[in-house]
Amino acid sequence: MTQTWKQNHTVFLTIAGLLAWIIPGAGHFALGEKRRAFTIGITIVLTFLIGLYVGSVGVIDPIGAKPWYAAQLMNSPAVFFLGRIGATGNYPVYGRPNEIGQIFTSIAGLLNLLCIVNAVYMAHQQAVGKTGA
Amino acid sequence: MITAAAAIMASFTTPIQIDTTAASMLWLLPLVVAIAVVYKATKVHTIRLRPFARETALLIGSILVFISIAALVLHGIAWFVTEQLPAITGSSAF
Repeated sequence: MTQTWKQNHTVFLTIAGLLAWIIPGAGHFALGEKRRAFTIGITIVLTFLIGLYVGSVGVIDPIGAKPWYAAQLMNSPAVFFLGRIGATGNYPVYGRPNEIGQIFTSIAGLLNLLCIVNAVYMAHQQAVGKTGA
Repeated sequence: MITAAAAIMASFTTPIQIDTTAASMLWLLPLVVAIAVVYKATKVHTIRLRPFARETALLIGSILVFISIAALVLHGIAWFVTEQLPAITGSSAF
């Protein structure tokens, strides 16, 4: 019984975390926190899009800017596909637009990481609250 | 419709022009707003417009004040090292 609860609990937390990663705010939305989900989702997507608009898709560079790419990947798995476009080298970007674009897209990713952790924590709180475990 | 979509997509393939000037620092403002909104969204118990806006504005203000103080301190250190220190030691800092 305890083992089943633990397994279900782990699956529940994993799903909440994965949803939060796949679409920013989706983890909170699945937990019924709709206002929080829309606030998080809109803010993170806008921040990411501002970064892409300022620096172009070239700021997502999995070859020349690996640490930035790691943070950008926290936005969503979709960044992986954008990274493949950026890695072609057809969209070069230098100077201040590159800096600002990378900072915006990476900060958006790190903010989403915070939201993923928060969604998992809230899922844990909800599960514990329901079962009283 | 397809033309509009293509134009929007195309705008993400070329970087915009931003000069290396003091005015480019203003780009930190939307970033500070995003950080404050998301941070507060994860911290508050329930999200209601007025209290949430007030708390977020307070955090934005706090971050901006702290950044300004940090900038002033760093500027002061840079000024001391590059302008004052050479006169005191009798040699250039570089």
